[in-house]
Amino acid sequence: MKKLILASALSICSFSAFAEVAVIVNPGNSNAIDADTIKKVYLGKAKSFANGNKVTPVTQNGTAVADEFNTKVVGKSSSQLNAYWSKLVFTGKGTPPEKLDTDQAVVDFVAANGDSIGYIDSSKVTDKVKVVATF
Amino acid sequence: MNKLSIAVAVCAALASSYASAEVRINGFASIVGGKSLDSDQTLYGYDDDISFKNESKFALQLSADLQEKLTATAQIIARGEDDFDATFEWAYVTYEYSDELQFSAGKMRVPFYKYSDFLDVGYAYRWVRPPKSVYGIPFSTYEGLSVVYNTQIGDWDSTLQGFYGGFDGDIDVFGNDLPAELNNLGGLNWNLSYDWFSARAAYIVADTSIYSDDINLLGLIDVLNNSGLSDTANDLITEEDSTTFIGVGFSIDYENILFDAEYTQFEVEESLLAEQKQFYASLGYRLDDVIVHFTFEENDDEHKSSRFDTIESIPSLNSVVNLALEGIRAQSNVYTIGARYDFHPSAAFKIDFSRFKDDVADTETDVVAVGIDLVF
Repeated sequence: MKKLILASALSICSFSAFAEVAVIVNPGNSNAIDADTIKKVYLGKAKSFANGNKVTPVTQNGTAVADEFNTKVVGKSSSQLNAYWSKLVFTGKGTPPEKLDTDQAVVDFVAANGDSIGYIDSSKVTDKVKVVATF
Repeated sequence: MNKLSIAVAVCAALASSYASAEVRINGFASIVGGKSLDSDQTLYGYDDDISFKNESKFALQLSADLQEKLTATAQIIARGEDDFDATFEWAYVTYEYSDELQFSAGKMRVPFYKYSDFLDVGYAYRWVRPPKSVYGIPFSTYEGLSVVYNTQIGDWDSTLQGFYGGFDGDIDVFGNDLPAELNNLGGLNWNLSYDWFSARAAYIVADTSIYSDDINLLGLIDVLNNSGLSDTANDLITEEDSTTFIGVGFSIDYENILFDAEYTQFEVEESLLAEQKQFYASLGYRLDDVIVHFTFEENDDEHKSSRFDTIESIPSLNSVVNLALEGIRAQSNVYTIGARYDFHPSAAFKIDFSRFKDDVADTETDVVAVGIDLVF
């Protein structure tokens, strides 16, 4: 228990300087979603949730949260990710996630679409969405 | 119901069916300026006058999601080298049977190389142009069918593609546009990737016909035929000749290190075209938004020794045939150093310097090119 408290304390410290990214889905979505699945969805390698429903990811357009999500979760810089998607788009192999401009727009989209997934600054989380992971 | 109201009803019906198809428009462009540094040598289409046209291009892609797993995609490209005349580079329909299995039909890319699928999308790679010694086959598309099977083998992503079709059009052979036909063009292309590593292999076959208008060659073929040497004549004609292409390569994108290497070889049997072998190796290093790179390429075209001296009984003709075969010989290498700077989320600035060394003519040509690649 002490270790857990220590770990939490450390993680709070390490994140306190930065905004935390929360990955969110619709509250009605009960699929298990881990970091690897999230990465695959944002690279177009996974197209469905565990229950077989087609996933509709949304991303953010050039925001600080987008940079942080791309680096921490997807493992690519925003321009590397653009180059990656351009390869898929211009060969008809994939469609990049729709880009929204604000955390609020992502919350609204995810709240309104049952099979969507998005990410926002964790301080902007509301009860209209469900957090499945934070980074 | 009068004609007008029928027309209105048809329009309304069309409008509603169009509304259900979501059409996406994407595009890319490259604006490239370059010149040869040698007054009497041209390379990659550049002479010693700066040209902003030669390697520049502009493309739009339309993809329509027709629902029920069907999509239609068309890519229209205007190339500076073709006076910016717009042509359909891709036009195909895909049926996505499942996440793993897709069927496509139409006009698509032949998967000769790692970068074949996005040859024109400069934004997708680090050079101004992919290494030309390898990326040298003078046509890049075919009309036909393609099946793609995506799967996971342990932690590896595997993509296996099978395709079949044909090509019919003019191709550039040694600077001349000649009518050509490739029938029974088909093959397999397999990609394996694991996080920072990927490897591929392609095996492609075809029956190739190229219709030469070279007076000297046609004259020689006539003489050979008239002398009863039709076998030798046929070996100089490229008609329904069985063709084999092999391409292998691997890529590394590990932290700040980028590395690509590809080897290709192909042969059009019993034709004037020599057996060709090419490779390149390219190392890149990423410093934030800048990539610096160095590439070495080599090309070697040579007829097998068994093709020479086949009609020694007629020394005069024998030497002419030998000359024709020897004339195809090519051996060259290229060094390129360059840099790419991602100055904008959807635009990159590039500069490449290439030194091309022709070992047969014993010449050296330098080319500098500067460009901007965009995606939108």
